[in-house]
Amino acid sequence: MKLSFPIWAVGVSLLVLAGCSTPQSDSAKSFSGSSVINSTPARDKVLWEYRDALTALRRGQLDEAKRLLDDAILSIGGINVGDKDAKRARRFFSGEDKKTFIGEPYERVMAYYYRGILYWMDGEPDNARACFRSGQFQDSDTENKQYSSDYVLLDYLDGLASTKLASDGSDAFKRAQTASKSFSLPAYDTKSNVLFFLDYGSSPLKYSSGQYGEQLRFRERTSLAHSATIKVGGQTIRSVPNDDLYFQATTRGGRVMDHILANKAVFKSATSAAGDAAIISGAVLGSSQQGRHSNADEIGLGLALAGVASKIFSAATVPAADTRTWDNLPQYLSFAAISLPPGQHIAKVEFNDAQGRALPNLTKTVTINIPPGSRDNVIYVSDKSTNS
Amino acid sequence: MKHKNLFLPFSFLAVTALFAGCATSGVRNPSGVRVTEMRPDERGFVAGTGVESQDLVAVTDKMARSILSTPEIANAQGIPRVVLEPVVNDTRFPINKNIFLTRIRTELNTKARNKVRFLAREQMKVLEHERDLKQSGAVTSNSDPNAVEFKGADFFLTGKLEGMTTRTSRGTSDYVLYSFQLIDARTSDIIWEDSAEIKKQGLEDAAYR
Repeated sequence: MKLSFPIWAVGVSLLVLAGCSTPQSDSAKSFSGSSVINSTPARDKVLWEYRDALTALRRGQLDEAKRLLDDAILSIGGINVGDKDAKRARRFFSGEDKKTFIGEPYERVMAYYYRGILYWMDGEPDNARACFRSGQFQDSDTENKQYSSDYVLLDYLDGLASTKLASDGSDAFKRAQTASKSFSLPAYDTKSNVLFFLDYGSSPLKYSSGQYGEQLRFRERTSLAHSATIKVGGQTIRSVPNDDLYFQATTRGGRVMDHILANKAVFKSATSAAGDAAIISGAVLGSSQQGRHSNADEIGLGLALAGVASKIFSAATVPAADTRTWDNLPQYLSFAAISLPPGQHIAKVEFNDAQGRALPNLTKTVTINIPPGSRDNVIYVSDKSTNS
Repeated sequence: MKHKNLFLPFSFLAVTALFAGCATSGVRNPSGVRVTEMRPDERGFVAGTGVESQDLVAVTDKMARSILSTPEIANAQGIPRVVLEPVVNDTRFPINKNIFLTRIRTELNTKARNKVRFLAREQMKVLEHERDLKQSGAVTSNSDPNAVEFKGADFFLTGKLEGMTTRTSRGTSDYVLYSFQLIDARTSDIIWEDSAEIKKQGLEDAAYR
């Protein structure tokens, strides 16, 4: 039995239209708190190393944090060329999330920042400085040069490390002061022997917008803590945010990849529209001849087939932006350097709300043992720390 | 009837042409540009990557050869004793700094035995503990345990890594200067100094830009 052309064409059209929904890219998995690195796809390995490294740091598992960050930095520190996953991510029929994740610049910066803290903890301020410089380098590829390499802390710490290494840190200090528009930064005190690295709040989240999710966007999350107060050895130091990761995430500007995704979106839209037009035209042409096997029937069939092919190409095109996110990052970064005599000290770190009131649930207590000698004692405290 | 036979191929051709017209354009070097090692005096098209094993080998080979040709070492009366001091990293690349001095030491110990000798200062705690055990009679000794036999340094060998980075839309370039010094422990004279330069550049895949 031969199906008449209009019925066949309409049936195929419905099938094609039903299959036209854009395949959804894997959204960022929420943090599980356990290592899934070995079971996760290779392209997500760095993402989980980032997350687990920060969790380990907050638990005080410093060796684990170093191991994970070192491995992640191997991926982000080189020049990524000829990567098959990256090539696939640029193709029409694969999503951006098929590329090996190394994160957006603000995420890469944070990997270097935390590794720098760990180097300084180990008494290697020069390698810490190298990490802060690499972090600043990661932030240098902004569309608007006004926001290029504008992390206050990275330059400030670069200068501090240089000063402690008997080099000149004044240039880095000036750059930090220029980037710190709101606050006057404290001058370097070479006698300070306790360095507090504080972070608090919740990192920005990525989401995609646009007709096909081809535009990468960032959403600011509500952060309870907006500043911190350190109380130790009779000193009270109020520490305000030096850097805001939401600001950093949203001031990078357009990416080269955004152009590729935009082209994919145009392709998807154009092939869909062309497919619709061809299928409808073919159906109209075919049905107008009432199955008389005329030339118009053949032309209608051809148009409908071309339309179906076009719709298939459209459906298979994935312009969605990559929204995998290092989602346990903080929003705010702070730093304070103080001087304490040798011996044991109990430090209390209070995190404060937007009005400056202490948030008792977030208060952390840290025991600091200062040995005799000139080595710096580096303390990392987060409002999410679980080891204090 | 002829046009009926041609219509279907023509339709697919038209669709193919449509797709071809929609191909990605406007992105330079979408696959990136491979990292290219260049002479330091060669002007590159942009900038590069960090300190790698081939740099370590090239630099330390050069330094070891250079040290041995220094008159103070080559013509020394007796065997000069050298202590390694940590290398300072002033680049943007976190590195294992000791590896440079370790390789220079092993190169010299392997290829120029008895021309220069290194003192194991990083093992002093263990050595002092052993000496204390001998002095207290807890362990045996083949020589007078009270004699001071730990050697003093004739020279200190140290170094510094300094870097310069450039980044433009065309890529990244890194220049690293490796400089090493041999310092006379008695006079503070720098009796030998040499350097090596490496410049690299590259451009990342567009998926990461």
